[in-house]
Amino acid sequence: MTLFASILIDGMAYAMILFMITVGLSITLGLMHVVNMAHGAFAMLGGFAAVELMSRLGLRFEPALVIAVLATALVSVPIERVVISRIYGRPELDQALLTIGLAFVAIALVNLWLGASFSSIDLPARLSGPVDLGFRSFPRHRVAVIVLGCAISVALWLFIGRSRFGIRLRAAVDNPGIAESVGINTTLLYSMTFAIGAGLAALGGIAGAELLPMEANYPIKYMVLFLAVVAVGGQGTLFGTFLAALLLGVVDTASKYLLPDLASISFYLTMLVALALRPQGLLGRKDAA
Amino acid sequence: MKTCKRLAALAGVLLFGCAVARAEPVKVGIIGPFSGPFSSFGEGWKAAIDAYQKLHGKTAGGQDIELIFRDLTGPNPSEAKALAQELIIKNKVQYIGGVVFTPNAFAIAPVVEEAKIPTVIFNAATSSVLEKSKYFVRTSYTLPQITVPIARFMLDEGVRSVVTMVSDYAPGADAEASFVKTFEAGGGKVIEKVRVPLKTTDFGPFLQRVKGSAPQALFIFFPGGPPSYGVIKAYKDNDLRSTGIRLFGTSEADEKDLPAIGDAALGLESGMFYSGAHDSASNSEFVAALKAVAPAAVANATALEGFDGMAAIYHMIEATKGQRDPDAAMAAIRGFAWESPRGPVRIDPESRHIVQNVYIRKVEKDADGKLFHKEFKTYEQQPDFGRADPK
Amino acid sequence: MADIVADPSRVEPGRWRALIGPELAVVAVGLLAAIVFPDDLGFITRINILSIFTLSIALVVGQAGIGTLGQAALFGAGSYAAALWALHVSAEPFSGLLVGALAGAGVAAASGLLILRTRGLTLIMLSIAFAQVLLEIANKAAFVTGGDDGLADIPVNPILGAVAFDFHGRVGFCYTLAALVVVYFCLRRLIASPFGLTCRGIKGDRLRMRAIGAPVVRHLLCVYAIGGAVAGIAGALSAQTTQVVGLGNLGFELSAEGLVMLSIGGVGHLAGALLGVPTFMIVRHVTATINPYHWLLVIGVLLVVTVLFLPGGLYGMVDKWRRRAGQGGS
Repeated sequence: MTLFASILIDGMAYAMILFMITVGLSITLGLMHVVNMAHGAFAMLGGFAAVELMSRLGLRFEPALVIAVLATALVSVPIERVVISRIYGRPELDQALLTIGLAFVAIALVNLWLGASFSSIDLPARLSGPVDLGFRSFPRHRVAVIVLGCAISVALWLFIGRSRFGIRLRAAVDNPGIAESVGINTTLLYSMTFAIGAGLAALGGIAGAELLPMEANYPIKYMVLFLAVVAVGGQGTLFGTFLAALLLGVVDTASKYLLPDLASISFYLTMLVALALRPQGLLGRKDAA
Repeated sequence: MKTCKRLAALAGVLLFGCAVARAEPVKVGIIGPFSGPFSSFGEGWKAAIDAYQKLHGKTAGGQDIELIFRDLTGPNPSEAKALAQELIIKNKVQYIGGVVFTPNAFAIAPVVEEAKIPTVIFNAATSSVLEKSKYFVRTSYTLPQITVPIARFMLDEGVRSVVTMVSDYAPGADAEASFVKTFEAGGGKVIEKVRVPLKTTDFGPFLQRVKGSAPQALFIFFPGGPPSYGVIKAYKDNDLRSTGIRLFGTSEADEKDLPAIGDAALGLESGMFYSGAHDSASNSEFVAALKAVAPAAVANATALEGFDGMAAIYHMIEATKGQRDPDAAMAAIRGFAWESPRGPVRIDPESRHIVQNVYIRKVEKDADGKLFHKEFKTYEQQPDFGRADPK
Repeated sequence: MADIVADPSRVEPGRWRALIGPELAVVAVGLLAAIVFPDDLGFITRINILSIFTLSIALVVGQAGIGTLGQAALFGAGSYAAALWALHVSAEPFSGLLVGALAGAGVAAASGLLILRTRGLTLIMLSIAFAQVLLEIANKAAFVTGGDDGLADIPVNPILGAVAFDFHGRVGFCYTLAALVVVYFCLRRLIASPFGLTCRGIKGDRLRMRAIGAPVVRHLLCVYAIGGAVAGIAGALSAQTTQVVGLGNLGFELSAEGLVMLSIGGVGHLAGALLGVPTFMIVRHVTATINPYHWLLVIGVLLVVTVLFLPGGLYGMVDKWRRRAGQGGS
């Protein structure tokens, strides 16, 4: 029972980080149909921005986090406008190659800026160290990540389900042509969605820095991991991405507890099986595959 | 008058000839990862090589030395071989240095063997590398060389039950095998051997598993960077120390990673051949020179590998007066002993591997609040225990 | 469908220049490079091998539209198979190539059953996952594959029992160049055939091809297996000329690099592989020699520029000039 709860809590924490980083990718994929291989660069950008704000300017964790997330969202707008928007509607291969190119540029620039070593984010005392949950002690940070991840999921669900923006977004995902003809400004919609996705990635990157430490090679190193969540979930679905993150996160964690020697194979096998059974993703629509 | 002119001409020719001979430097090729995910090796080596040249000049045996750097970003045998061929055939190097990864060392072995190019392996730490060419010499370490002393130390400390946890790749398997053998031979019991996938970043579950089996100590081996950070952090976050499980490591908590790992590293006990805080005149000289040539460089094992690799290459050049005589150079390096920043070292004449001290250290904070490895016990002149018959 | 009309490899048979002209050009450029840069044969040999590998991607991705990022699985299968064959059975080089080709084709056929029923992102992820699983198995099965250390000391007998591989790499260069030319010729004939036409038809519109009765998945499986054989040959050549095989031969980086080289050369044409590989390798070699730190920046910018401003890659650019020149002349 303790083992089961351990797997669930550690797995949930990992899953929430994956969810926060990848949900933006999934939505932009569903909306603009762009395979963005450079999405992880936003998580890295957020993480390094937070590290630098704290170490160079001496900011505390919370303001550094907020500024880093906003800055990343802001930086993503010109990137979407100037580069990414030019490949809307192009073949997937072109999109993948261009965004891999962007990821390389991001890696090279961070390498020039900060060198080859990696960085961690100094968490305040109330977020670090162990906390006793009765049956077992857990890293306090993990519990915080689970709470944050759930809060973000609910907020996003309400935002997309209830707000005017969300209604327009869903309309544009379902049928961009009609959405445009009824007066929805899709250009603005695309930019805003992209920026929100980048900001969420930054938040996930910072929250997840204990598990996925910041280093220059981050966008390429975790690219397959992030894309796996999106593919398994089904592109463009909030809930599908959530489920996929949960599935992959918990399976990965469970195999670490139960079959440590096969931990890395089991991640890819899960992905293989999931995609073989449901090529369009857990909650994806048939035509998207 | 005529004779005078002729003499003058002859003198001129001689002088010019000498100048030409002098102008042809001894070329040394350095192969390493200067870009990409492993570029911290290349950066550390480059800084240390500059530091060595600052201290010892850019000439040896009366000859100028020209260094040629070649980038090999990761384990890629065919590119390694092509680079070695290029250095030897096109650049006409007399010596090669560097090489981080074992498969790359395997790939260049036939090339340097055929061309008779003395090659100093700065890193590639699998024991069998040196058997692949008689022109290989290694100034780094092997995993058995440092894990055997650690196992002995743990036995001395009264540790009898242990869980081992290593990265699931060849060096991890090497570390595990030699540790387990020594530990069990000394009467200890290995409860479980865990191998962690190389790309793992979330170590929590693994550490919880260890906690469940409640050994007296946990022995780890992980490559530097995120894996080392992850495992040390998880050890602290999952509160293993308070349940009495001691942590013993090897090269984790490298000086370069220590600031990022932070206080979680406090109290980590480990065995290693070098620490930036090693207390000796030779080390102070090295650290000062390193700071002078590259202020951002860190005195760690990687930098030391580059520094001592250069020491070996300089010695061979001096012994042969810069002339191309590979067998004389190899004869000179066999048995060569010198005072390295890590302490006294020598090249074992038979295996061509370095014999060195292994220090047991503990991470502490100095007066300025900076983390460092405090050495408190020395296992002197350890050979490569990975060989069938270690000397 | 304009693709098909513009394809220069659709030639009237019987005309020598058209029949083997491109191959002769490859031989001429290869020999010229070897004469001008006699000290760089190791490097040129690598270009030859990667060209074969990238040709296999050009066939699978460019002709049949199978957007895979797992081609290294087939390259690696070929290299490990050839290495094990040489170590345990026979060090004769041609039999090693055959074994490599069979291994590549076999692995492609097996993985194709799973991968080829999907498209888009799903196909990309499945191909990556398959390659990663193979890599993990190779890492675990260290008693066969040497694990992370790889297999070293792979023996290679002299070619035809007469010509031994030499230190300067002259034989290795000729051997790989010959392999490249033969592979290129076969693939060119293949895509000019009705089989190749069907491939491009499937790439253009899968549903329509199915509607006119083409067995789409079986057809794709066939192309994928042929691509696997070609990648396997490249892997075997790499094992034989390097005499070491490591896990990197199965790695994601190799798959991505192959695709990047192809896209720089031009995805839609086999010749794109032959233009892209040398360009990529030479740019990398020069940048890395000048300053290794900046290589990634250069290749990143190169990729972005290619996709945005040179959609047909180098081949497209050359083709445009050629046509413009042709119009001016007539």
